[in-house]
This record gives sequence, structure tokens and C-alpha cells, in this order.
Amino acid sequence: MDTLIAALFTGTSRGAIYALVAMGLVLVWRGAGIVNFAQMGQAMFSTYIASTLIMNGYSYWLAFFVAIAAGALLGVFLDLVVMRPLSNKKQTELLSSQSMRSAVPVIASLGILGVLQALAGVIWAAEERGFQAPFAQEGYTIAGRVMPFTSFDLFVVTVVAITLILTVIFFKKTGVGLAMRASALDQEVAKLSGIRTNGVRALSWAISGAASSLAGLLLTPTSNLSPYTLDLALIIGFTAAVVGGLDSLPGSVIGGFILGFVISFVNYYMTPEDIYLAILAVLIFVLVVRPRGILGGKDTRRV
Amino acid sequence: MLEVTDLTTSYGSVIALNSVSMKVKESKITTVIGANGAGKSTLLRTISGLEKPSSGSITWNGQSLLHRRPEEIVRVGVAHVPEGHAVISALTVEENILMGSLFRRRTHKRDIALATEELYTLFPRLLERRKQLAGTLSGGERQMLAISRALVSRPSLLLLDEPSLGLAPLVVEQIIDSIKILSEKTGLTVLLVEQNANTALGVADHGVLLSLGKVVADRPAHELKADANLRAAYLGY
Amino acid sequence: MSSSRPKSIVRKSSIRTALFGLLIFLAARSFEPYNQGQLAVTLILFIGILSIVILTGISGQISLGQGALMAVGGYSTALMIINLEMSLWIAVPLAIVSGGLAGLILGTVAARLSGPYLAGTTLVVALAIPSIANRFGSVFKGDEGLQVDVGYPPEWFVNTFGDPSYEMWQFYVALPFALISLFFASNLLLSRSGRVWRSIRDHEIASALTGVKVSRQKVFVFTISAAFAGLAGALYGLRGSVGPSTYPTSLSLMLLTGAILGGIRSIAGAFIGSVLVVFLPDWIDYAVHSFELSEQVSNYLPALVGGILLILTVVINPAGVAGGNHLHKHK
Repeated sequence: MDTLIAALFTGTSRGAIYALVAMGLVLVWRGAGIVNFAQMGQAMFSTYIASTLIMNGYSYWLAFFVAIAAGALLGVFLDLVVMRPLSNKKQTELLSSQSMRSAVPVIASLGILGVLQALAGVIWAAEERGFQAPFAQEGYTIAGRVMPFTSFDLFVVTVVAITLILTVIFFKKTGVGLAMRASALDQEVAKLSGIRTNGVRALSWAISGAASSLAGLLLTPTSNLSPYTLDLALIIGFTAAVVGGLDSLPGSVIGGFILGFVISFVNYYMTPEDIYLAILAVLIFVLVVRPRGILGGKDTRRV
Repeated sequence: MLEVTDLTTSYGSVIALNSVSMKVKESKITTVIGANGAGKSTLLRTISGLEKPSSGSITWNGQSLLHRRPEEIVRVGVAHVPEGHAVISALTVEENILMGSLFRRRTHKRDIALATEELYTLFPRLLERRKQLAGTLSGGERQMLAISRALVSRPSLLLLDEPSLGLAPLVVEQIIDSIKILSEKTGLTVLLVEQNANTALGVADHGVLLSLGKVVADRPAHELKADANLRAAYLGY
Repeated sequence: MSSSRPKSIVRKSSIRTALFGLLIFLAARSFEPYNQGQLAVTLILFIGILSIVILTGISGQISLGQGALMAVGGYSTALMIINLEMSLWIAVPLAIVSGGLAGLILGTVAARLSGPYLAGTTLVVALAIPSIANRFGSVFKGDEGLQVDVGYPPEWFVNTFGDPSYEMWQFYVALPFALISLFFASNLLLSRSGRVWRSIRDHEIASALTGVKVSRQKVFVFTISAAFAGLAGALYGLRGSVGPSTYPTSLSLMLLTGAILGGIRSIAGAFIGSVLVVFLPDWIDYAVHSFELSEQVSNYLPALVGGILLILTVVINPAGVAGGNHLHKHK
């Protein structure tokens, strides 16, 4: 019974972080029409920046927020330098093919991931380092018993809840949010309405970059940061986004928690090695049974 | 006044507009007619910035529209209602209209509210359905919505591409009449592309006949309408 | 269109294969052992990149899991050599079957997917398959892996051709498989199947309307492409050991990078790509020789350069070195 409760709580807390990763993917999918496979590479890079700041004596929270800002800036940079030239490309024979047109941005984002990982390796790999969690990882003590959830868990869940509410409000109620939705749905009509689609797209990269950097900071273990630490988070986040529906923000949160629970249970009741297979099983299950995801709408850019 | 001079636009090796020159007088309705493939849509798309010409010039009230992005051309007062898909189905009627006004929201909030009200008065059916998704609207309502989206920014030049496509004659009449009333009241300049030459020439002040990317005739509308030879040769009736 | 008749296709492919074999053999003979070994690896990765050319370049399906399919071939061959004491000349070709089977399974799921969904799913597969090796450590020997190698040339060979260096023997082992792969790939690309796959790539809906059974063809391509990958994986493992570190997730990315840089739509492109992937680290090492870089930098530098080249290629000229923008006979 204790194991079950522990698994549930761990699942909730990890699930919240995975929800952040999934939200970042959904944001760029909705804002720029691509799945950004480099996202957790950006997060890893930001985490390295935070870690470096701390190692050089800066305060923890300063490093934390600088990392999130760096994540946003890095996102904008990638949009400007790689994605925008890509979308402005003249028609070539290769690009007239439907499948290549959707494959090229994927390959570009993989290239970015590779560069970010190699760059991080070149700059920082030599030292052992990690990134501490912002709050204590010990359980609260209530009525003499140690509860299975910690202040860290509380922090994470709160942050995700706030982020979700803010993003939903942003998209539904603000002008910029409407501009983003319009640009993603039909770029031509958006442009004819006077919307600066380039700027809007850069903004979605910025927000996504910030969200995923936050996730990266929360995910990185205290003592083990490497260029590849967050690869697992990427496929978990991807699966979570697919489960929830690639174009639904609330869906990505649901997906994140589902993955959190699945992984938590696999960790507690089976071996950690089974995680990858579990993720694959969940992914294939969703793609076969309900490809559009739990809250995904009928989209023409579909599977 | 819209001045188009020697405008040439090509799609790869296909020349869609071949050295087209024309002047569109302010506050008048000018219609561009011609058979399918004559280059009419390409003309509008080049003016609004969606297509880049290979040569020639476009000026609106003395300002050059060349080398400008579509979203910047809108801000100069040129609104384009493209043919076919001109509304976003996944957004509501309200949101579609709002979308057209976003770029001036910070400076013209009250005017936008006023403009929106005027449009709802012009097209009462949109008011009824304003919380509905645009995808659930009928063809005629969608066209009204598309025009509203363009008009809410109070453009001085309206580029209208085949508003009659797929619509019942009665609905078409309603829409075209509204445009005419609007033009007379506000001095809006309209460049109307139409397959249905008869309807278009009935409401326009001036007409330009395009064939295979070239200007064949450029005359007052009633003259074009009366010229049976021209009609037979290029418009098939 | 005489070029589509089976006999002339076979003739064309044979000529290409023979020419290629001759040229590369001459090149290997003139190299010193280290580069002979590199050339052997080039041939192996050539087979692997061919799998991507067939899958992505010709039929338009993007897969990030080819490295995992290589692992399937590598493990099955290694197990057969060690546990069943098979000769590598039987065990390696059998990797074509094991790889193909894995591709068939993967293909039935993947055929319904496209774009980022397909890429993401194959990425998850790429990470999941190696974890099986650790999960069933008793069979797959976990992280340590299985030890296999190309062995030594048989007596009759030494008597006829002299005693080659170890690296040259690696080359001799890889060469026939590379030539067979080249031959079959060339046939496929020139054949009706190739045309069908290209039509699926370019206009899937139109292709379906002409009666092509798109899903079935997609599964078919996956299977064939996986067969190539399995073969490459078996040979790759013969370099010394078959373990999770032999087939890391970066292997899939490396193959894809090679394919894109070289030219994802042609066999020539696949070969150029494999040369780049294998020799670029050496060239980079040589170039920065005088700079006295720390170990960490030189470890990651090839990956950095590769990634930058990948981005530049994709943004500037996605068709790669061999691609070009002119109409090729087979694209």
C-alpha cells in the first residue's frame, strides 16, 4: 500500500514536469507547425548555463531565472537562424514532394539537437556537475509520519497548474494569443489580416523555450548533468503530447500526468530498464487506438 | 489611386501577368474580368504582396507596394479578400473579425468597436452567429465574414477576389450591393475580380479585361458591357 | 522506355556494381592499414545509409530507428556465431532476414504514420530496442555485449592471394556484401517498385487513386530498408563487439546525417555520405592537429561539425552533394 501511494505521488510530481515538456512541444507545433525535437537539447543547454552560474557563485534563484530567460532567447535564435530561412526556401524539386516538406524541418531540428549536445560537450563536458532541485526533496512530516510528497512536488505541481492556466488564458483571451492561433491555422489569411506571422512564430519558440528550460531545471538530477541527460525526457514529452493530442494544451498536461504515472509504476513495480518499452507501448497504443490523442481535434495536418 | 505599371509575375516558367498596366481610380469600383487563367487572381495576389512580381511597379497613393510583406501592405490600407479560403474555420465569427483588427488594436480600440458594429449591421446574420465556428457557416455567410474581416481595419483599397464563387445569385446580389453602398458611403476604392462579368460590370464604374495575362481592354464599365464583340471573343457570351 | 525493362535494369546495375567494386578495391590496395579499416567501415555504413536512401529518399518515410535495426542484425548474427557456432558467411546474410522481420513489425505500425509522428515513434523505438539488451542481460550480455570479429582469412585465400593485413581482411569481408547491396539497391531504384515508391513520396493521394496499395507498399519498403540495415549492423558488430554502446542512439542520427549530406536520393549520395561520416572525424583531427585541443573538445568536435553541416545542408541544399536540382534519371 505504501508503495502504491509513493508511486502515485511520484507519478504526480514527475507527471507535472513531463506536462511542461509536452506543453513546450505543443506550443511550437501550434505556433510554428513543427515538432521541435531539439527542445530538450535547448533545456539541457539552459541548465548548463544555470549550473555554470551557480558554480561561479551566483545565487540559486538568479541562475534559475537566467536559465529560463536563456531558454527563451535560444528558442528565438533558433527560429531566426534555422527555421525562418527554412520556411522561406524557394521551391526546389526535392521540396515539391509532400513528405520531404514535412521531413525537412524534422531533420533540421535533429541537427540542432546534435549541435547543442556537441556544443555543450565541447564547452562543459569536462566537469562533473548537476543541478539541484529548488526545494527539499524530503517528505513533509505530518503527525509524526513522513508523507510521500515533498515541498518540491508541491512546487512542481503548482508551477505547472499556473503555467497551464496562464497559457490557456493567453491563447483564448489575448490578442497575441489569437494572432498565434491564426498564424498556425492559416498563415496566408493571418498575413492578409495584418498579423506579423514571423514575430508570432518567434514568440511561440520563445515561450516554448522558456517552458522546456523550466522542465529541464526541474528534471536534472542533483549530481548528473550531461549533454544526453534529457534525451529520455524528450521522448516522454513527445509521447505525452501525442497521448493528449498534439494540438491541445490541456491535453498535453493530461498526457504528461498519464506518462508520469505509467513511468512511476514501472519504476516501482518493474525494473527501470522497462521504462523505454513502456513508453513505446503507450505510444503505439495511442497511435493505433486514437491517433489524434485524448483531446486532439480533427486536424488536416494529421497522421 | 492605385497605379500598376508593366507588372509581370511568373510561376516558374509560366507567365501569369504579362506587363500589365492599369490605373484604379479612388472611390470607384473597378472590376477585372476575363476567362479562367487570365491572371486575375494573380493580379490581386501580387498587389497584396502574396506573390512577388519579376518586374514592374505598384503604387498606392504614391507609395510603392513592391518588396513589402503582405502584413505590411495591410497596414497601408490595402485589404485583400482572397478567393476560396478567406476565413479560418477553427475560429469563431467574432475571432475572425477581431483577427482583422489586431494590428491596430492598441491605437484604435474604439474605432474598431464601431467598425465591428457597423459590419454587424451590414451583415446581421453574422451578428446572430458570432459565437459560432466559422466552419459551420454557409457559403454566403462565410463570404460576408471574409469581407468583414477585411473591412474592420477600415482599408482605403479593397481587393475582392471572386466573391460570387459557389454562391446563389440572390446572395451574390446582396453582397455586391453591400459593397456598392459601402463604397458610396465611405469612399472605399474597390478592385473586384469576377468570373461573372455581367454582374461585375453591372455594379462597377470601370472595367479591365484580362486575357492570358495581358490587358485587352480598359474602359468605363457600361462601354465594356455594351461591346458584344469583346464579350463574345473573351467572355464567351 | 527501355530503361524499365528487367534485363536492362540488371545490366545497368551489374555494370555499376562491377565498376564500383573495381574502383574501391584499387583504392583499398593503395591505402595503409588504418585507412583500409576505415574503408571497410565506409562500406558497412554505405549499406546502412542505403537503407535510409531507400526508406526516406525514395519513399519519403522518415525513420530515426535505423540504428536500432542495425542492432537487431548485429545481435542476431553475433548470437548465431557464438551460440550456434555458425560461420560468419552464413550468419551475416541471415541478418538480412532478422533485420527484415524487425522492419516488417516496425513497418506495420509505422505505415500509418507520417512526418513528426513517424519520426518520434521511430525515435522511441531507437531508444527502446537497445534497452532490451540490458533487460535480458543473460542472453545479450548487457552492457558488456557479445564479442565477435571477422576472424582470419581461410587457408585457400592466403595461399592464393597472400596474407592480408587485418584491416584489409575486414575490407574483404565487407566488400561482397556491399556489392550485393549496391546491386539490389540499384535494381530497386530503377525498377517499377522504385517508381511506385517515388509516387507515394511525392503525391500519396494521387498515387492511391491510381490503384497503388499505399500502406502495403510502405510496409514493404520498411521491410526492405530494415533488411539493409540489419546486414549493415551484422557487419558493424564484426568490428569487435556487439553491445548497447556499439549501436547508440546517435548511430541513427549519424546515418541520417550521412544520407542528407551525401544526397538522400541516390546511391552515389549514400556512398559520399558514408565516406563523409567515416573520414570527417579523421580530417577534423588532422585540421586541428596544431591547436592542441583538450580531449573533451576533440571528442565532441566531429559531432559539432556534423551537426552544423547537417543544418547548413538542410537549409541551403536539402538534396545534398549528389542531389543537385537537375532531373536525375532516378530520383
